[in-house]
Amino acid sequence: MRKILIFFAGIFFAGNAWAQELSVDQIVIKANNRSYYQGKDGRAKATMVVTDSQGRRRERQLTILKLNVQEGGDQKYFVYFHKPNDVKGMSYIVWKHAGKDDDRWLYLPAMDLVRRIAASDKRSSFVGTTFLYEDISGRSIDLDSHELSARDASYYTIKNTPKDVALVEFSYYTVKIDKNSFVPMKAEYFDRSGKLYRTIEALEVKDVQNYPTVIRMKAADLNSGSNTVMEFSDIAYDAGLTDNIFTERFLRRPPQQWLKE
Amino acid sequence: MRGIFFIGLGILLVNVLPAQAAELPELHGFVEQAYGYRISHDSLTKHKNYNMLEQRLQLKTRYAIPGENFLSAWNGVASFKGDFLLDEYFDTTGSFDLRELNLAFSPDSIIDIKAGRQILTWGTGDYIFINDFFPKDYVSFYIGRDDEYLKKPSDALRVSLYPKAANIDFVLIPDFTPNTMPDGDRVSFFDSFQGGITGRDSQSNAVKPAFKAKNMQYALRIYRNFDSTEGALYYYRGFDPSPRSYLDEANQQLFYERLDAYGASLRGPFSSGIGNVEAGYYRSRQDPRGDNRLIENSLFKLLVGYEKDMGNDLKIGAQYLYEQKLNYSAYRYALLPGDFSWDEYRHLLTQRITKLFKNQTVTLGLFNFWSPSDKDGYVRASCAYDISDQWKIVFGVNVPWGEDMTTDFGMMKKNKNAFVRARYSF
Repeated sequence: MRKILIFFAGIFFAGNAWAQELSVDQIVIKANNRSYYQGKDGRAKATMVVTDSQGRRRERQLTILKLNVQEGGDQKYFVYFHKPNDVKGMSYIVWKHAGKDDDRWLYLPAMDLVRRIAASDKRSSFVGTTFLYEDISGRSIDLDSHELSARDASYYTIKNTPKDVALVEFSYYTVKIDKNSFVPMKAEYFDRSGKLYRTIEALEVKDVQNYPTVIRMKAADLNSGSNTVMEFSDIAYDAGLTDNIFTERFLRRPPQQWLKE
Repeated sequence: MRGIFFIGLGILLVNVLPAQAAELPELHGFVEQAYGYRISHDSLTKHKNYNMLEQRLQLKTRYAIPGENFLSAWNGVASFKGDFLLDEYFDTTGSFDLRELNLAFSPDSIIDIKAGRQILTWGTGDYIFINDFFPKDYVSFYIGRDDEYLKKPSDALRVSLYPKAANIDFVLIPDFTPNTMPDGDRVSFFDSFQGGITGRDSQSNAVKPAFKAKNMQYALRIYRNFDSTEGALYYYRGFDPSPRSYLDEANQQLFYERLDAYGASLRGPFSSGIGNVEAGYYRSRQDPRGDNRLIENSLFKLLVGYEKDMGNDLKIGAQYLYEQKLNYSAYRYALLPGDFSWDEYRHLLTQRITKLFKNQTVTLGLFNFWSPSDKDGYVRASCAYDISDQWKIVFGVNVPWGEDMTTDFGMMKKNKNAFVRARYSF
């Protein structure tokens, strides 16, 4: 979970009786690779409903195109905004880099302006929702140390402690990972005083082209009382996205064939 | 002439669209009420207490050409955006501002074409344009309209080529659209014919280049990425979009002198932020030696900028702009007694702070221009609140200031305002 597109080679692992239990690093790498890097590329429409503590709702709708450059490493994202109406038509490109700051560009069609976005803080809200940038594009597994805190018939529970606490707002977080699919089902974030303040939960998982895919997930901020439910539709893997889509050309002229209304 | 162009575009679209019930495209836009109160009363202008009072309806749509024809095969998309404006400052009965009406298509995998009325922008500056000569509306900028209205549309043909080595944008603009500059009715300014800050009394007028083949404007940008860094080269042949030269002093006529410009820019990651540098050489074609006192000198401009994300939805940015007139001694020598003389150098610093609050629904912004050489500046501050997905309200102030009445911001000092805009988007 905490992932926008969950990919998993279900067939490969189906019925494979593990001779021995996996190490914690193996589990984390598998969950990360299954979550972010399966398929050569992916496309989905995400609808996010943000509800604040007073019950007011806001809606965000965007199409996300993703291309894996290197498994476990660099990726490219193209995001096109459908809703709300005042940002409709804006598009956004991210070149995600392992080990250095991402490159981000935002296109404002009203001014025909391609703006370069300085974005080193990945723990800020993703388009005003309860999800953070890092929830969407992934948190590098090298940033945390991992320990297997529990294991039962269905789940591994991993405790992740940041190597540099100054860069994040949590002191640690736990992730419950499905033992069969390696789909993370629930993440819980704890603050400096050890209090649970943030959760992300997979609400519905479905097979799409044989990839177990989280199609509905919820992020909740327990301090502010707000939450966001994100739902994916029109999901396609290995759709044949090409590298040139993730360039200024298509920022200015969004790739029509991939952006169903 | 423009009318013919649009009629032609309309006929093309009508013929290409299938007659059978084509799906109607979605219509979006907003209605907005805006009011700008003058902090410093200005009795020189039409209304001394306010400089903006207007209602605006913007409609826009995009239409992907359907069916079996060459335009749909070329991923043709027609775009329209128009503003109906009730501008109560001028007691008008209403006007229509066509901001976009164009057709974009790709006749080849490495060619994009956009023809028609369109907004054009390029370059790396933040509110500073060195190699972007596309028209701008500085009156909108000073009275507090949305940033969108800083850019004016051009009637243009844009051809973009994407071969492997580099990307190329070529823009052809047959008819000249000047910048909208303060003319005294709404925004007072320094009128050199009057020798002071002038409002409605200004008799100054600017003569546009005629619509003919030799007055076509060309703009070229060649750009590519070097890893994460973007490099670009620019060329422009046309006219200075602001009237800076004198055509006829007796009749208080200014004109837009011919201009060639050559430029380059780099933008990319720098010191855990984004750095940019952009330079431009403006060759004043009607005054290449700089000895004509009536025509703008050739210029060199250099911009250095930096932006950084400080975390917690706080971003800061800073820029430095250097400007130099290149034939200054020839210009000084040519001056007559009584002429105003412009400075050789200009240094301008800008600073931007943007902070978001309340799940990014509240945006506080502060943008500051400050020129130590002109001893002037301009503070733009705003607070925007997204009340809901539909409603947005923006409060802000525009505070230009300066010691001198002849400098860019100093001449604006009577136009300080506080504005509010409420917008419903659909």
